[in-house]
Amino acid sequence: MREIDRPLLAAAFADFADWHSNASPLVAVLEDMNAFGDLVLDITGVDHLFGGEAPMLRLLLSRLRALGYTVAGAIASTIGGAWAVSHFARSQVVADDALTQVLDALPVAALRLDDSQVAGLTQMGLTTLGQVRPRPRKPLQARFGLSLLTRLDQAYGQQQERLNPRLPLAERHAERRFADPIGLLDDVLMTARDLAIRLGLQLEGEGLGGQAFHLFLYRVDHKVMTLSVNSARLTRDPDHISALFNNRAERLSGEYDPGFGIDMIRLAVSSVGRLDAAQLGAFADDDGTADLDQLQDRMSSRLGTMAVLRTQLLASHIPEQAARLVPALVGAAAPDDPPGPPRLRPLRLLPVPEPVAINAEVPDGLPASMIWRRVSYRITKAAGPERLGAQWWRSGQRLDLLPLPAAPEADGKPAAAPALARFDAEAGTRDYYRIEDAQGRRFWIFRNGLYVPDSTPQWYLHGLFA
Amino acid sequence: MAPSDRQQRLAALRDTIADIERKPALAEARPLLQPGAESDFPMPAAGLLQEIFTDEQRHAGATLGFALAQARSLITPARPAVIYLQLARQAQDSGLPYGPGLRSFGFDPSALLLVRTQTITDLLWASEEALACRAVAAVVADVAGQHKALDFTASRRLGLRTAGMGSSLLLLRYGTGREASAAHLRWRLTPVLSARRRFDALAPGAPRWLAQLEKGILRQQQTQWLVGWTHDGLVTQDAGTITGRTDAPWPAAGTALPQPLSAQLANRLPEAG
Repeated sequence: MREIDRPLLAAAFADFADWHSNASPLVAVLEDMNAFGDLVLDITGVDHLFGGEAPMLRLLLSRLRALGYTVAGAIASTIGGAWAVSHFARSQVVADDALTQVLDALPVAALRLDDSQVAGLTQMGLTTLGQVRPRPRKPLQARFGLSLLTRLDQAYGQQQERLNPRLPLAERHAERRFADPIGLLDDVLMTARDLAIRLGLQLEGEGLGGQAFHLFLYRVDHKVMTLSVNSARLTRDPDHISALFNNRAERLSGEYDPGFGIDMIRLAVSSVGRLDAAQLGAFADDDGTADLDQLQDRMSSRLGTMAVLRTQLLASHIPEQAARLVPALVGAAAPDDPPGPPRLRPLRLLPVPEPVAINAEVPDGLPASMIWRRVSYRITKAAGPERLGAQWWRSGQRLDLLPLPAAPEADGKPAAAPALARFDAEAGTRDYYRIEDAQGRRFWIFRNGLYVPDSTPQWYLHGLFA
Repeated sequence: MAPSDRQQRLAALRDTIADIERKPALAEARPLLQPGAESDFPMPAAGLLQEIFTDEQRHAGATLGFALAQARSLITPARPAVIYLQLARQAQDSGLPYGPGLRSFGFDPSALLLVRTQTITDLLWASEEALACRAVAAVVADVAGQHKALDFTASRRLGLRTAGMGSSLLLLRYGTGREASAAHLRWRLTPVLSARRRFDALAPGAPRWLAQLEKGILRQQQTQWLVGWTHDGLVTQDAGTITGRTDAPWPAAGTALPQPLSAQLANRLPEAG
């Protein structure tokens, strides 16, 4: 005997739910009662693809039963109603006008209530929904809480209920079903290209372009694999889109596992925006920046978004915080001038400063020799220090400028003194030096902390000058 | 056909054959120099594969400076971007290009796109992709250590790509070993004691490097230059000033920058030297 592994079951069921998006794009797992087991599909405007509601329900249920699952299902105009019917009646399609009648006959447990509420209702002699519904609402709310009324209204359609779709709602998509499941990655990518052409034509007709493209691969064994690529600017160019998918697939080819085959592929686009047709030829504004964006897309799709970076300058005097590397796809704004005078900075910065041993003639004088990576350097030229203070406003520390006001010792605690550590100006202060050794190598080093009694501040090498 | 006609045609054909024999692949008899820089440092033209070697990895700042100095001269409005490629694991060893540092060097950090790859294969792929892009002025690939994938075939491939697309590839290499490669130019760069800083003789001044050309010919009978990075871009300096800490002559102003620069960046250059 083993304890049920709920997280694993929930994850498996979520995969299973995703796979059902081949029936309807809006699929959700209803987590009100349990994290798995209840699947909701919004089939508004979809059922005609399956020949009506009843055949659709039959198809969905029978294909699961064929796999050995025990399934019950219902189609109704409300989520609560469908849940009640599927759990407490036979699987059926409930018409709008018959909903009240069908629900009235069901037991109170069909309302997605917790055990104590069900027990309370039963104690009152209310066993079916038909008995609960006409009761005055105020006493019911007083005894069972607002949730009972909410569930009641949701089931009968007096109150709206939303479902949270698991997959992002794609505004446009193109899909292809296969009579025989396919497995090879090359076939998948070829299909993706065909779909990109179809989707591109569709978008072109509407004057739109997209920035995020998702490829959904529906496996025969109820799993969905997704492959998403992003583009820096709006596009509908099939060549570009399929090139991005090719790059991404090349990177992920080790994880690609078609299982027993793929029977449907869908290409969806999100982040859609207006993209007018561009004039080619004589009047085109051919400045090459579009090429650059496409290059970024291609490199990001193969190497990963975090591999293609741009520098963003920030207003900070701390060297490692003055510049940040951001993904180029994010579209960093043109860096504006950081305030303050321009400072001399090294061309290369080490991500982590490396400790060095420094000798100086006098403690606060210019460095005379250095040992870095077990090699010693004789320093012939040096400039500094450039003193950079610690950021007292960033940390949970306070400055010690004025003596604290004498606190009224009411109950042994000072009144308004925040419990922050005292700001230690010496600990975070850095003195930067530009140094050059006898062979002309130029470095940027700093001493962390000041010379105070009982402590020896450590030196670090932070950058390399040209 | 008249005999004279025939003679002419034969002569023309002979010329063609001679051309083909002299330059086996593509039209490689392209100018190696940028026009208009006759007197100073011979600035290599666009569309070349250059290897910039330096003896040790701790000179990484010097090679990047030399490469970016060249790359900046290649930037045009139609080709605004420079791509820097590095293996992600080598960031700590040789450092990452630093935005404020690029500014004080005189290079606009927004023009530089950094690409950090996991493997050398990815790096070569990315440099080939980048070279194929019309908006890229130069690709600076920082490759420390020996790699099997970066062999003669790969460099030949990259060389053809640079020649075909007109963007430059500057390959930063470290160490004293040399391998067969199809690079058009190969430099050996050594940092040299910096120029004198005005008003402060003790401080490091404008960077200077000794650039030795090991492969390719830029100018007859000259294979080494003492280059300084100053207001006026790359300028050659008198070799007599290499040794000693004597006063180095500030390069004569007057030669214009190779490319128009925003005043803001140009204003910062004196700070670098």
